[in-house]
Amino acid sequence: MQMLSGSDANKAPDASTHASASFEALLAAVVDAAYGYAFRLSNNRSDAEDLVQEAAMLAFRGFGSFEAGSNFKAWFFKILTNCYRSKYRKDRRRPTVDLDDTPDLYLYARSGEVGFPTGGPDPAAMLLDRLGTEQVVAALEQLPDEYRIVSTLYFMQDFSYEEIARALGCPVGTVRSRLHRGRKILQKALWQVAEEAGIVHPSRSVEL
Amino acid sequence: MSEHLDRMTCEEAFRRLDDFLDHELNPEEMRLVQEHLDVCAQCTREFNFERSVLTGVRSKLSRIAAPPNLLSRIAPFLGRPDPKDAPDADGSA
Repeated sequence: MQMLSGSDANKAPDASTHASASFEALLAAVVDAAYGYAFRLSNNRSDAEDLVQEAAMLAFRGFGSFEAGSNFKAWFFKILTNCYRSKYRKDRRRPTVDLDDTPDLYLYARSGEVGFPTGGPDPAAMLLDRLGTEQVVAALEQLPDEYRIVSTLYFMQDFSYEEIARALGCPVGTVRSRLHRGRKILQKALWQVAEEAGIVHPSRSVEL
Repeated sequence: MSEHLDRMTCEEAFRRLDDFLDHELNPEEMRLVQEHLDVCAQCTREFNFERSVLTGVRSKLSRIAAPPNLLSRIAPFLGRPDPKDAPDADGSA
């Protein structure tokens, strides 16, 4: 993505300067990440572009309230997340994965049951390497929004818990608990997707 | 003897699994969990599996590049009046 101006685009300009060029330089540094995040949330390229554009317009208008030296990416992602929530809240499909009582280490236990390895340098690869990106995305789609949004930020953006909290406008403890539950639900959803794809079978072992 | 008392149990280590894998523990807790893993093969196996899941999912959700002209298409819209149904610029809906 071409930088429109500036060299250190994740740092804020002087507080007295809120020129378009400075904003565009900051935006240029995060636009790929923002688009990827918007695409994973909306699952649609055109909608993702619209979301980023709308968030950019709002962010530019509110740029005066951006605190110089703070994290522009987290600030922009907060606006982007709220744009998504505002536009798509009612459109989300209902999850089909059972959200109740997902035990810890779900994939570990299920993998062991069907004969997939649970040890070695990359034990989950036997399962995940057989899943395509769209299947992993389909599993992520099974999460209710409160877990899906935080999990998407976590898996795609390399944000710390603190940065996720800033991007979502919630306490770090909320991020921690939602990530924990989101991971558990995601593991269950991944297994469900793998079963539906015939990669694993619930009642018998697979041939390795 | 005091060193032994500082060691974590499997349950205590497991409670910190997510934070440990995400480097969200303070250095002392990171050390205590690592010390437990150094002597507990079962926990090491479980932690490694969870790390492998996270790594695998992350690799599948790899970054997606924005269309090359997205920024130039956005630029003309900057500074336009608020859409009536848009959330506030501070992020509140």
